Amino acid sequence: MRTSLREDYLEAILIHTGRYSHPPTAQDLSEVLHIDKGEVSAHLRELADRGDLRLSDDGRIVLTDQGTTTGKQIIKKHETLQSFLSEILGMDRSSASDEACRIEHAVSDETIDRLGDYLRSPVIQPPAGDRAKPVHSCPRGHQGHTSCGYARSLMDYEEGQRLIVRDILGRGCSKRLLDLGVVPGQLVVIKRKLRNGSIVVQVKDCAVALSPENASAICVERIP
Amino acid sequence: MKIALIGNPGAGKSLIFNQLTGLGVEVNKYPGSAIELEYGNVCYKNEKIELVDLPGIYSLDGDSEEEVLVRRFLEKDGADSLIVVLDATKLERNLYLLTQIAEYSLPMVVVVNMIDIAESQGLIIDTARLATIFGTEVLPTAAVLGKNIDRILPLALSSSQSPVLGVPYDHHIEAALRSLEKTMGTPRRKNLLALQGTGDDAALRDSAGSIATEIEQRHQMSVGQIIATNRHNFARSVAAEVVKQSPEKKRFDLDSILTRAFPGIPILFLILFSLLLSVFVIGSWMESRIVGGFTEFILPPFAALGLHPLAERIGYSVLVAMEAGLGIAFPFVFTFYLGLSFLEDTGYMTRAAFLADRSMHRLGLHGEAIIPMVIGFGCAVPAVMSLRILKTRREQTIAAFLIILVPCSARTVVVAGIVAAFVGIIWAFSIYLIIFILIIITAIVMSRLTPGEQFGMIVEMPSLRKPRIQLVIRKSWLRIKEFLFIAMPLLIVTSVFLGLFQYFGVIDIFQSLVAPITVSLLGLPEYASTALLFGIFRKELAFETLAVLSGTADLGSVMTGVQLYTFAIVSILFIPCISTVAVLYKQLGAKIAILTSAYSLFLGMLIGVLISLLMK
Ligand SMILES: Nc1nc2c(ncn2[C@@H]2O[C@H](COP(=O)(O)OP(=O)(O)O)[C@@H](O)[C@H]2O)c(=O)[nH]1
Ligand SMILES: [Mg+2]
Repeated sequence: MRTSLREDYLEAILIHTGRYSHPPTAQDLSEVLHIDKGEVSAHLRELADRGDLRLSDDGRIVLTDQGTTTGKQIIKKHETLQSFLSEILGMDRSSASDEACRIEHAVSDETIDRLGDYLRSPVIQPPAGDRAKPVHSCPRGHQGHTSCGYARSLMDYEEGQRLIVRDILGRGCSKRLLDLGVVPGQLVVIKRKLRNGSIVVQVKDCAVALSPENASAICVERIP
Repeated sequence: MKIALIGNPGAGKSLIFNQLTGLGVEVNKYPGSAIELEYGNVCYKNEKIELVDLPGIYSLDGDSEEEVLVRRFLEKDGADSLIVVLDATKLERNLYLLTQIAEYSLPMVVVVNMIDIAESQGLIIDTARLATIFGTEVLPTAAVLGKNIDRILPLALSSSQSPVLGVPYDHHIEAALRSLEKTMGTPRRKNLLALQGTGDDAALRDSAGSIATEIEQRHQMSVGQIIATNRHNFARSVAAEVVKQSPEKKRFDLDSILTRAFPGIPILFLILFSLLLSVFVIGSWMESRIVGGFTEFILPPFAALGLHPLAERIGYSVLVAMEAGLGIAFPFVFTFYLGLSFLEDTGYMTRAAFLADRSMHRLGLHGEAIIPMVIGFGCAVPAVMSLRILKTRREQTIAAFLIILVPCSARTVVVAGIVAAFVGIIWAFSIYLIIFILIIITAIVMSRLTPGEQFGMIVEMPSLRKPRIQLVIRKSWLRIKEFLFIAMPLLIVTSVFLGLFQYFGVIDIFQSLVAPITVSLLGLPEYASTALLFGIFRKELAFETLAVLSGTADLGSVMTGVQLYTFAIVSILFIPCISTVAVLYKQLGAKIAILTSAYSLFLGMLIGVLISLLMK
């Protein structure tokens, strides 16, 4: 059996299971994949031999762990490719999906990972090895950033400015900041800014003093 | 029956605790933590109630020592009821914590404190509405005025209820919580923690971790951020329903002066300088009283007992240690604590931290480090204990090396008693200058050498308040008790040992052994080494022992100016006193305790030799 066919099956079974919250029957698969029923049964037997799935007593097709993992990878590839084709290259969504269906079987994991990174923060990524290790508790895709890029940080505004928090970058993604109320969407007012960059902001009726490095990790937008 | 007070820092928990308990308060370390909790017993309607004042926290999900402690307390100790203290003037932020406490489903009553300030700010809080929303009793109080304080316990005993309300989380989070609950069988609260990468269940953290990564990719936000945002939004919607703001009168804000570089920084120096000066003046006066009392009323009767010389030696050592302990503890350390607690209670110390932030960065630290440093001027023991407020090991290590150099009140006595009295005031100040330079150099070197990353300061600046004298005294009293607890036994044991050494002539052997260093290198009389040795036990004792050994209080007549100056600086720098070493060991481990002692020994010798060479 071709790899691409196997992947199509696994993908279809996962999607069906997710959508209807029960696994598909051979009949369901035959409809979705436009393959006739007899052929589907043969394919399913082959996949069961490979350890990807098993048939339950009520005729439903249940994926094994191995099958689920592979299926999930394919779905992720599909989604990433589809967003890239439609959001970045401007293709319409349904042709993007068709195209993704074809590329997903050939594309490598690394390409998908990099495409994913690119989608989350459209800048050129340095080659592997130079990249900071991802930290679980920080927003993904933000690790390499130490400034807000073209967005402005708290440090760019003067005393008295009312601002909305948009994002908190790597270093600043401290739990304490979040607990004090510095979260995306929050209104903050700069109460005091010393020449050396130390800042006091008013958040929810409370004054919070910040070192410059923390303030510069808080991306904000001015309230017009 | 066990009831705990819980809430944000500065919400008024301690004040309420004091009003509810009165006397009979015990301070105990919470098992497995460096944090001390106040426990008090109250009798109400023939029932004994144990009340606990938990440390102030902003959240229950974090990794700070306070948060971990409170979390453990809620999970394991099973309070029968919680008194959640909210600050009415910052209700929204306080509700954020309440939403988290609610997830523990413990019976509770909610106290909306500071209602007096809220009213003066034109805030009207609909406590009845809050009670309906959370499904618990809500009581407005003004602890300073004693308003409604007497109703708290009866309410907690009769009508504590588990809150009925939970935060609606983002649907991906909710789905993750459900699936973790199903697969791992763990409760929602634990799953929330695990999704944020904390909690003590490693298997749960693992399975939550992969789900969290998926959610993070979808949202481009950390799970912690999503959860915090959900909670804040929920708190905001509740606050919007219960808080009405009538137009506020514009009032003068003291911060418009205090937090500006000018005149804020001169004011900061002025405040710190007056604090140290008054501690010194008041301390010296009180100390002379205490020492006088001892030499007049206690030592002569003891000598008159006519004990066996060995027993007399030991008894005498114990008495001297007590004299030393009391002579430093109450006059200097306690006075200093009074001033410091006063400053802390006004909320000024956070302003000081803000102003000092930049300079502290140059030393590899950040603004909050100014607090241990200032405490160090009083006594290094509490300064080391306060290192807890610095969050990283790196900062604690750097600050520990600096604290042992900061001239504490005992060292000030040495400088004043030896240098200012016999060499000259200007020379006394030059010692401070040398120490100041050494601190800067040490900091610069240490910030290069110490591994770890530097994080900045994120602190809430509470509004400035009139301090409550009773609270200030209480807090100082608790601190001095802590000091006596650590320092006193050590002082007595060391003193007895030194006494025995003296009795059996070990001291003389030591003296001649190190004579090459004392006499040839430092240019001091041979007996100075014994005085320095006593200085390890309490810095000020170096000076007193010197007077005893030289046979006169007029040190100027037996030693030259250079000798006195060298002696003073060596005794100040070399090896922090024994209590400091002990607390360094307890707080930061043997390695740091040994390294700091070795470093200061090296510095003391180096500077001493340099001075005796330069000034020959
Ligand atoms: N005006 C006013 N001040 C209060 C009230 N309750 C507490 N305070 C003050 O708020 C400060 C912080 O209180 P504290 O009990 O130390 O708070 P904790 O951190 O929660 O223990 C102290 O200076 C108290 O005197 C109140 O109801 N009204
Ligand atoms: Mg307190």
